[in-house]
This record gives sequence, C-alpha cells and structure tokens, in this order.
Amino acid sequence: MSRDKIGVDQWVEQYDQRVSRAKGIQGFIEQTSRRLPVWGWLICLVVLGALLPVATTNSFAIRIAGNIALMGILALGLNVVAGYAGLLDLGFIAFYGIGAYVYAYLSSDFTGIHFPTWATLIIIVVVSTLFGLLLGSPSLRLIGDYLAIVTLGFGQMFVQLTTSLTRVDLPGRDKPVDLTGGPNGIVNLDPLSIFGLKATTVVHYYLILLIVFAISILIIYHLYKSRVGRAWRALREDELAAQAMGMPNHRLKLQAFAIGAAFAGFSGGLFAAWQGSVFPSNFDTTLLITVYAIIVLGGLGSLPGVVLGAVIMIAVPDILRNAPLAGTLFYIGVIVTLFSVIKPRWQAIVLIVAIAIFGFILRAVLVGANPDAFTTLKPVGALISDTVRSWLPIPNNAMVVGNYGFAILIILVLAVSRIKRPLWRLAALVPTLYLLLFVWETRLVAEPSITRLLFVGVLLIVLMIYRPNGLLGQRRVEIA
Amino acid sequence: MDVFLQQLPQLLINGLTLGAVYALIALGYSMVYGVLQLLNFAHGDVYMIGAFIGYFVMVAFLPPDGPIIAPVLIIIFMMLLAMLGCGVLGVVIEQFAYRPLRNAPRIAPLISALGVSFFIQNAVQLTLTAKFRNYETEKLIAPGLAFDFGNARLSVTRALVIVTAIVLMIILQYLIRRTKLGKAMRAVAIDREAAAMMGVNVDQVIVFTFFIGSALAGAAGVLTGIVFTRIYHFMGFSAGLKGFTAAVLGGIGNIPGAMLGGFILGLTETFAVVFISSTYKDIVAFIVLIIVLLLRPRGLLGARIAQKV
Repeated sequence: MSRDKIGVDQWVEQYDQRVSRAKGIQGFIEQTSRRLPVWGWLICLVVLGALLPVATTNSFAIRIAGNIALMGILALGLNVVAGYAGLLDLGFIAFYGIGAYVYAYLSSDFTGIHFPTWATLIIIVVVSTLFGLLLGSPSLRLIGDYLAIVTLGFGQMFVQLTTSLTRVDLPGRDKPVDLTGGPNGIVNLDPLSIFGLKATTVVHYYLILLIVFAISILIIYHLYKSRVGRAWRALREDELAAQAMGMPNHRLKLQAFAIGAAFAGFSGGLFAAWQGSVFPSNFDTTLLITVYAIIVLGGLGSLPGVVLGAVIMIAVPDILRNAPLAGTLFYIGVIVTLFSVIKPRWQAIVLIVAIAIFGFILRAVLVGANPDAFTTLKPVGALISDTVRSWLPIPNNAMVVGNYGFAILIILVLAVSRIKRPLWRLAALVPTLYLLLFVWETRLVAEPSITRLLFVGVLLIVLMIYRPNGLLGQRRVEIA
Repeated sequence: MDVFLQQLPQLLINGLTLGAVYALIALGYSMVYGVLQLLNFAHGDVYMIGAFIGYFVMVAFLPPDGPIIAPVLIIIFMMLLAMLGCGVLGVVIEQFAYRPLRNAPRIAPLISALGVSFFIQNAVQLTLTAKFRNYETEKLIAPGLAFDFGNARLSVTRALVIVTAIVLMIILQYLIRRTKLGKAMRAVAIDREAAAMMGVNVDQVIVFTFFIGSALAGAAGVLTGIVFTRIYHFMGFSAGLKGFTAAVLGGIGNIPGAMLGGFILGLTETFAVVFISSTYKDIVAFIVLIIVLLLRPRGLLGARIAQKV
C-alpha cells in the first residue's frame, strides 16, 4: 500500500496480501481450489479413485490406494484433534486400535459373536467416543504438554494390555480368560457386509474406503465451517483469549477429542475387517508418527493437505519396496529438488555436470590405484539407476563402506547447510550429492523398510524448518 | 508381611539402581524443558547412542583374551567418551533441528523432535543392524564382588551405578546453584527475554543446557549397559518415555524434582514387578503418573505459578 486510506483499517485492507498467494502452477492450483466447492472436489476424488480398479488389475496398486484412503480417514480424525483444536494427542492410535478390537470382538469366533456390520460399526463409534471422553475428561485439565505425556502413556498402555491380557482371572470363571489373543491377535474376522453383499476382494474394500473417505471429508469440512469449528480454531490460536470471549474451553476440547476418537475407531474397524485380523503390533508408534507426518506434511488443519499427505506418506514407502521404481523416483526427486532449490537454474545444471565429472575422476583414481578392490553392482532394470550403478566405483565390501559413507553423509549435509557463501555451498554440494548417490545405491535401496522411516524422520525435520505450516497449509502472518 | 520385610532391602537396592538411570535421563528432559519449554523427544535416542558409544569403547579396549589392564580406567573412559559424544550430539540436534524453530508455533519443534528421534533410531539400525549387543561387564567387574547386608546383596556393579549417578547429580547441583553458568541457566528458565536483556547470552546457555543434559543421558546409557548389559537400537524409546514420565512426575523443569521422580519411578516399577506382575510394570508406572498429575497437575515438586499473559 503506497498511501494510507482514511477510514480503512490497514491491517484488514491488506489481508489478501498477507495471506500471500503463490504464483505459477501452485498459484493456479490454489486459485482453482478456492473456486470449486467442496463437493465438487469430492466427486472428482471419488470418480478418479473409482477409475483406478478399471485402469489396472494390479492388486498391489489397489491395495496401496486403499491404504491411502484408510490412513486418510484416520488422519482426518487426528486433524480435528491436533489440527483444529491444537491438542497434541499422542495416544490417538489407541482409539484406532480400540475400534479394530471392538470389530474383532463383535465379528469373530474369538467371542462367538457375529453382529451385522452396521451394528458393529455403530457400536465401534459409540465405544471409541466413550473411550475418548474417558481419557479426555481427566487429561484435558492438564496444562499444555502434560497432555502429550499422558496420552502417549495411554497409547503405550493399549499396546501392552492387548499384548499381555491373555490370562486374566475374571470373577465367576474358573480358568484364566484370554481377553485379547495376546501377540497372536484375533484372526478370521468376518468381512464387511452391506445390505447382504459381502466385501471379499481388495477392490471392494478399496471402493468402500474411498467412499467413506469422501464422506468423512465432507463431514469434517462442514464441522470446520460450523460454529464449533470456528471455536476450535480460536482455541488453537489463543486459549486464553478464547476463554475470555466466553468459549467453553473444556467442553470444546472434549468434543474435539471425542470426534477424533470416533473417526479413529471407525477407521480401525474398517482396517480390522479388511485385514481380517488384529494384532497389537498393528498399533505401534510407527503408525502414530506416520499419521502425524500425514497431517503435518499437508499442513495442520488443511483438508486437501490430508489427502496429499496421505498419498505421499503411504505411496512413497510402498514404492520404495520396488527397487527399480524407487531408484527412478529417487533420482527424479533429487533432480527436481535441485532445480527448485538452486537459483539461478543454470547453476543446477553446472552442479550435475560437476558431480558427473567428479565421479569419473574419483573412479579413475580409485580403480586405477587398486582395481581388485572394486566390483560392480547388479543392474536393477531401470535406466537411471543402472547408469549410476555402472558409474559409481563400488568397493568389494560395499555394505561396510556404505555404512561409513552414511555417517559421513550426515556430517556433510549438516556442514553444507551451515555454509553461507552460495558458491562455496555449491562446491561443497558436489561431494555431498556424490556420497548421497553412493549411499543410496549401496545401502538405502537395499533396506527399504529402514529407508522409509529415515525418510519420514528427515521429512519431518526439514518440513518443520522450511514450511512449518505444511505443503498446503495457510501461510499465516504471525502477529507479534 | 515377613516375606515382604525380608525382600524389602533387596527391592530397595534394585529400585534405586533403576531409579538412578531414570533420574539421569529425566534430568536432561527437565533441563531442556526448563530453558526452552520443549519436550525433547530425541532425548531417549541420545541415551541409546551413549550406550553404543560406551559399548564400542569397551570393545576397543578389551583384549580378546588375557588379563585386563586397569578395568576402572576403561569404565571411566567409557563414561567420559559417551558423555562427550552425547553432549556434542545434543548440541548438534539443538543447532540443526530446534534452533531454526525457536519462534515457530509450539507444535513445530515437537514434530521436529519426533523426526530427529525417528532418524537417529533408523540411522543406527541401518548402520549397526537391529541385533542386540551385550556389555561384557563380567570382564570389567568380577561378578562375585558384592557387599552383603543379611537379606540383601549390593553387587559392586549396582553400587557403581548408584554412586556414579549420585556423584553426577551432586556435580550438576553445584553447577546450577553455585556457578555463573548455572545462574544464567536459572535466569533463562525463569524468563528468557528478561535474561537476555540483563546480558545473559541465551544461545550459549541453551547450548550448554543441551550439552549437559545430553551428557547425563550418555552417562545413563553407559550405566544401563553396565548393569543390565543388553543394548539395542530401540532401547531409547521406552527409556525416554520413562525418563520423561519421571521428569513429569517430579515436576518438569524442576531439577530436584527430576531426581525424585526418577527414583520414585524406579522403585514403583521394581515393586510392581514383585507384587503385581512384570508384564504390567509399565502400566503401573503410567497409572502412578496419571494419579500424580491429577492430584498435582504440575508434578510433585513443580511450582504452582500463576499463568502469565
């Protein structure tokens, strides 16, 4: 604003500029997303999603897609608790587990009870909501971070109880009773059945999950726009101010907690039906962190963010299991990152060329000095990976060297991030990225399950530092 | 009742050993929380790294066979290197993962801390694999060595753990109560901005806090290795949770509270194992925590301060 206007509050006037709009492709997406109503998006989502089983019969792909929808539902629930109400609930997965176990109790030979699906699902929602209230009502009185520890403890207790409640002396029974099946879980659960139709294949479950996901988004969206939703956001921004405005803080928090728990329980029930069994290990901390990563990645409180976050967090780790695909994706990712981070763009090209030359020189020197110490890696059947593999000098004890390389890589990355001069930094990136490629080919590609968790860890740190509001979060201006 | 009285001294010894380890971990949590109001979820993993540093130092110094020269020196060396290594690690974590987020919304450093924790665990699993490793304590300290008190036996290993932990706590108390740095730390904990205005170098204080807290975690890691022998990449998670619980129990941000909380938790768990069942010891610990928090929302020794706006 060049000039002050009379009678107009500058702060209000400049609102649009402060909620800064991105330009280019990102801006286009943001603009369109504002224009299209939410049900329009949902129809797009469902139609596009429903096309997947038509397009491919690959059950692996459909399974991943189903998993995305399932995790999406779970993340929507967490989004209410952590994203809207701002409560750091680290016991959230326990509600998911409660839902799954209730489903298992009500539809298996373990208890001998076989309820119809609709009744089971209703009971699941009621029970998990009750548990949400039960945990919430005492612990929400705690101040700030104390909530995190109590809920984390609750989550751990759930896993431990389900693992260990196998020989419990109940009054009125002679023998100890097995309440949870222990680490072996409860197996052979009934499939979901709706109006007499049984869901048996992956495609059925995928479609069910997709529709439930869409409906959940719709519910949460309206919740977000409602009076309660606004109150939650006010609570998240400033608890004291919200209270001063007459908001019933405790009740609002409890509502958020219960609704989150209900969604988690429901998705847990669907999960149990889909997997056909439940085990305590399904509800461990890895899942908790994955779900947090989903909502944080997309942007706390953002609904499209949940969809995006679920796609990235579930699809990427699964893709990592497939070495050729993982390799290609990794290299594309590295190149895209380089081009988007390094400005001007030609420097990125120079960098890539420099790495290639550096690699050739290093290879010539090392292999020239001691040709017996080097070997070649088996090609994986993907163009970029195989090119890189034949270009890298691979020592005979690749695993050990790769491990040391990984340790050095961490130090190099930390050091590079500290270099202030752009040119120096560019120069330092050459050996760093070279080492990254080396470690990727020797170690990371070989250990997909560890790599995905490393990836989650790095992602959480980097994202928090560079985009604390997530990929699709509203870029807020902090008022000091 | 007689059985109970006979068991009591031994249980106290075992509980104190466990409690000493918990207390050392809790101190790091509490100190960091005191100056930054940050729950450092990566603290448990720093402790795990400490156990591994101690292990590798021990492997490097233990001859494969033959007599061991100066086992005491080896133990001291293990402790010192683990404390130094963990201290540096803590400072690095602070520099790279928490410092850029100092003015971010409160949830951001928490998530970042979860990320650090995940990263460290999996980096260790990648490079050192997931297998268990065992401290060869019996080579350093003869297993038979013990003090007998009628019903109870205090092995030298356990005595070492308890004494070391208490010595470290006394040093820490001296550092915080008597030195200039400690004064600065307390000032930052009370009001960071005011301390900065009075000429306290806040960044430096935070770095020192992380260094000391992480070094204590490293010491706890080595002590765990010495007394319970088995170490692995995931040990930091449950130990971190316990340390955290202990810190909260005593009143987070409160140094004597963390020690008290650690010992109470250690004793509770030991008694729970004997009188209830070993499978429920963690659950008992959490139930105790929840009860304490409901009765005293700021922990046992936590100050009851009015919230400022």
